[in-house]
Amino acid sequence: MDNSTNNMNEKLVQYLDGELAGAEKEDFEHELAMNKSLQDELDSLKATREAVKMFGLQQKVSGVHQQMMQEMQAPVKKMNPIVIGSNRRIIRYSIAIAASVVLIVGSIIGYNFYSLSSDKVFASNYHSYELSTLRDGDTLQVSMVEKAYRDTNYKKVVELHSLIGSNSIKETFLAAMSYVELGNNTKAIDEFKKVIAEDETANTNLFKDEAEYYLALTYISNKDYDFALELLRKTRDNPNNPYHKKVTGKLIRQVKMLKWR
Amino acid sequence: MEEIRNFPDSEMVANLRSGKRMDETIKAIYRDHFESLCWYVMNNSGSRQDAEDVFQEVVMAFIELVQKDKFRGESTVKTFLYSLNRYTWLNELKRKGRALAREEKYEKGQERTEFDTSHFIADRESKAQVVNLVGQLGETCKKILLLFYYENLSIGEILDTLDYENEQVVRNKKYKCLKQLEQMIAEKPILKQTLKNLLNG
Repeated sequence: MDNSTNNMNEKLVQYLDGELAGAEKEDFEHELAMNKSLQDELDSLKATREAVKMFGLQQKVSGVHQQMMQEMQAPVKKMNPIVIGSNRRIIRYSIAIAASVVLIVGSIIGYNFYSLSSDKVFASNYHSYELSTLRDGDTLQVSMVEKAYRDTNYKKVVELHSLIGSNSIKETFLAAMSYVELGNNTKAIDEFKKVIAEDETANTNLFKDEAEYYLALTYISNKDYDFALELLRKTRDNPNNPYHKKVTGKLIRQVKMLKWR
Repeated sequence: MEEIRNFPDSEMVANLRSGKRMDETIKAIYRDHFESLCWYVMNNSGSRQDAEDVFQEVVMAFIELVQKDKFRGESTVKTFLYSLNRYTWLNELKRKGRALAREEKYEKGQERTEFDTSHFIADRESKAQVVNLVGQLGETCKKILLLFYYENLSIGEILDTLDYENEQVVRNKKYKCLKQLEQMIAEKPILKQTLKNLLNG
């Protein structure tokens, strides 16, 4: 668009807005009378101005309408007083259905949110750690700690573990599991951390994956959700981790919800 | 506490025409006429919600007609609104395809005695589309154009309400917004024609 066209357009808007006067206005009207495309452009601008006025009136009436419906204790209608013809009822029903769906979904989410507890999440994900079955001849090599664990004598496990000064990673892990079984989260967390640290120091992975998974569950039980989430995400992000499939999106969502409660 | 007062027809029309005390005047129309016009719709297959929708359109149409000087007191405001209401609702029923024979019969008996307003009302679907189209403008554009063309504020007054450097910046912005809306309307020839008809009708 060249400068002269721009100037003419601006002048046209000035004329539309009633800002031209005197000789300037007369000159422009003379030009207008001679120029059909200028007349069309003026018509177009007038139509645009009309649209703005229509919108303004709609906003004004709509605002008062809502106030008056409240004053008259009638059902208040939302904006958009002019909803296109026969679509109005469909839109209203759609809104009602959508609102119902939102309400139902909201109720379910709300129920889940408020009925959720750390104990529930822990209980629904926790399964006692089971040692592999021993073959004949292996029994002699089993430590006392492991034997007590296999007998589900968790008190004995933790007693033996604390009595024996140097435990293997496996024994420490079993002691940690036993503390979980006994409901002593603090001690369980300490022992799981030892397992992880020892595996990392030795650059092995004897019980690291197990310890991280059960430590995360213990954190949930202990309401340490941030620590739990960090470990759960780590497990979930590693497809090679044997607990990868156990850490579902649902579990992570539940822990997040618990965090916000 | 807001004072509630009644307006005689002449004052009501004068206010609507000048754009002064609009809120108060529109509220008075609601208080004076909503219940009786609502009753009409609800007694002719409509719901309360239908009645509210129709009344809102009727008020808009009435104000437009007054401002275009097309209501000159040939009838009372009440009669005129009643006719607009009846016409709008019957059109809606026809659109829904469930106008009852009973109503048609009833309406035929009324045609000769009522004030005919059908030719005053623009196609409501097109009007709705115009409103939707303007609603698609950015918030700043909508505000500037409304303040200037609907509220009739000067560029200086708009400068006082918006955060711009000077009047020229406001003027440039207003120009761009107007051209943008013009372009949006140009892309919808039917709407453009509706607007032209409204201007010339």
